[in-house]
Amino acid sequence: MSDSNCQCAALQFYCTAGNGMEPFLIQEVKTKLAAKDVDHIPGKVFFTTTFGIKQVRELKSAERLFLLLKRHSPLSAHTVKTPSGIQSRLMGDGSDWTRAVLSWRRLQRDLMMRSNCTLSVSLPGRKRKREEEEEKESGVEGSTCNGPNGTQKLGLEGERKELGLSKDHISSTEDSGSGNCVAGDKVEEDRIEGSCDGKTSTVSFRVSCRCSGALSRRFSPQDLSRIIGTAASRQLGWRVDLRKPDLEVNVYISDDHCVLGIPLLRLPLANRSYMKTTGLRSTIAWAMASLSDIKPGSCVIDPMCGVGTILLEAAHEYQDAFFLGLDIDESQLVKACQNVEFAKFGDRVQLLQSSSKDIPLPSCSVDAVVCDVPFGKKFGTKTDMAASLPVIVREMERVLRVGGTLVLLLSPQLSCLLKKSITPRPVPLHTQGEETEVGLVCDVDPFLTPSPFPSLQSLGYHRVSLGAIDALIHKYVKILTATTTLGGPD
Amino acid sequence: MKLLTHNMLTSHVKGVTKGYPLLIKATEVRVSEVEFNPNFVSRMIPKLEWSALVQAADGLGHLQDLPAELVTDYEKNEDFLRKVHRVLLEVEVLEGCLQCPESGREFPISRGVPNMLLNEDEA
Repeated sequence: MSDSNCQCAALQFYCTAGNGMEPFLIQEVKTKLAAKDVDHIPGKVFFTTTFGIKQVRELKSAERLFLLLKRHSPLSAHTVKTPSGIQSRLMGDGSDWTRAVLSWRRLQRDLMMRSNCTLSVSLPGRKRKREEEEEKESGVEGSTCNGPNGTQKLGLEGERKELGLSKDHISSTEDSGSGNCVAGDKVEEDRIEGSCDGKTSTVSFRVSCRCSGALSRRFSPQDLSRIIGTAASRQLGWRVDLRKPDLEVNVYISDDHCVLGIPLLRLPLANRSYMKTTGLRSTIAWAMASLSDIKPGSCVIDPMCGVGTILLEAAHEYQDAFFLGLDIDESQLVKACQNVEFAKFGDRVQLLQSSSKDIPLPSCSVDAVVCDVPFGKKFGTKTDMAASLPVIVREMERVLRVGGTLVLLLSPQLSCLLKKSITPRPVPLHTQGEETEVGLVCDVDPFLTPSPFPSLQSLGYHRVSLGAIDALIHKYVKILTATTTLGGPD
Repeated sequence: MKLLTHNMLTSHVKGVTKGYPLLIKATEVRVSEVEFNPNFVSRMIPKLEWSALVQAADGLGHLQDLPAELVTDYEKNEDFLRKVHRVLLEVEVLEGCLQCPESGREFPISRGVPNMLLNEDEA
């Protein structure tokens, strides 16, 4: 991958991704951007593409987009002990840096041509302020493994908070990646202070460093930022500007990885311009839609649509399909209505007030059911979701046509519950069950209990992070059932 | 509520065996222009219960000369697709109710959203 960005068009990028979203992002860059050299580490996906920034910025499963400056082999704390050692390793002959800034300039021009100032690349002071807030937040909750206090369904007030959470979560990924979960090793982040060397320069910059692992015990992120920033300004003549730099160089160092990149957009890709009120994380909503096998002419329902996040993500991705959102709560539907109008999807996304336990649609009438099942904390005060889940899933199974797809987002607890009740019945497991049960005084073999959802066949699970907590995406297909005999022992 | 949604809805009151199609009793109907997407319309047509659509459109006074029987080769018939588009996506019932043909149960429509919630004894 060393010199592939010498070719005029192909550029190396990377995106950050929420925990568990990497496979979706890998698939997305391959299909939408014909990406090559696709590689990933926890929380980051690297790729090379000849597609323009306008296409790259349309990625739906990523958090933030970076131009790759350099991906270095990990800095071992044994060999790299001094600031000058770090400098010579990360700077090299400076050609990576020079090349990156040329590419960055070109991308900058391409972005400017859209003249969309809300997405401009410049880094005004406001951003710094916001990031400081995030730092504060992560300072408070970052090092712990996030108790169950977080609201998994982020409401409209949650956008900024959500960013903070996502960062925390990425931090925790990195912590676990480097195997250091001691509080003192918490990933910190800061920018270089002072050390402004006024050489004539073509570009102003600042370095933002995140570090975990062995090197972080020797140097603070501030130290590292200063060390790297000083070297770049001395070697390349770039001008340090902490307040309003032209560009920022992000440096991420752990025991296993060393990545340098330039953030390309001020707002995360995960911020959707077409969404007025955010419910579920847009990236996860998109991932669920991408699993739903939606085709032109498909009819897709979300029986607990909330503000309609999944349907809007799906409608944006799949142009010629019809989406029907149902919710029992009128106030959610009002917001969903506004979202649909805001996104101008009034023709293809329609809404209905209804209970997910009694869906007013004929049996076998829809091609896909997608649903973010409430975790029973925020919305489930009246009804116990664990008790309702079988009824709800049976109703989803009923309205789904044979061959149709069911995609659910569930809390770990509900996921367990559903997995247990839809016991997979592959032959090996089954026979194994038989053999071991023979000698036991066990009348009820869990593997032989008929599934309450005989026509649902599991197509896999994906664990994803919602920030403070994890959730599981379940995928099922409705199959033709042959009067549900299991062929078990008599 | 647009007629595309209506075309899918069925009464789900307990004990009802023939809850389709729901009778529309509209007190306020709006017709608003929606961008014409011929692909979408022609993809949706095979999914429709055609007679229910014609009946609903007629009841609202927006039949658009739609034939009682679905024409063949409609994919290339832009004139026809535009009429279907009009009926399916531009005509919208804002206020009124939907009535179950068997039980007579009425489901209110307010601000364009049908309320299909059932009481506990109906579910």
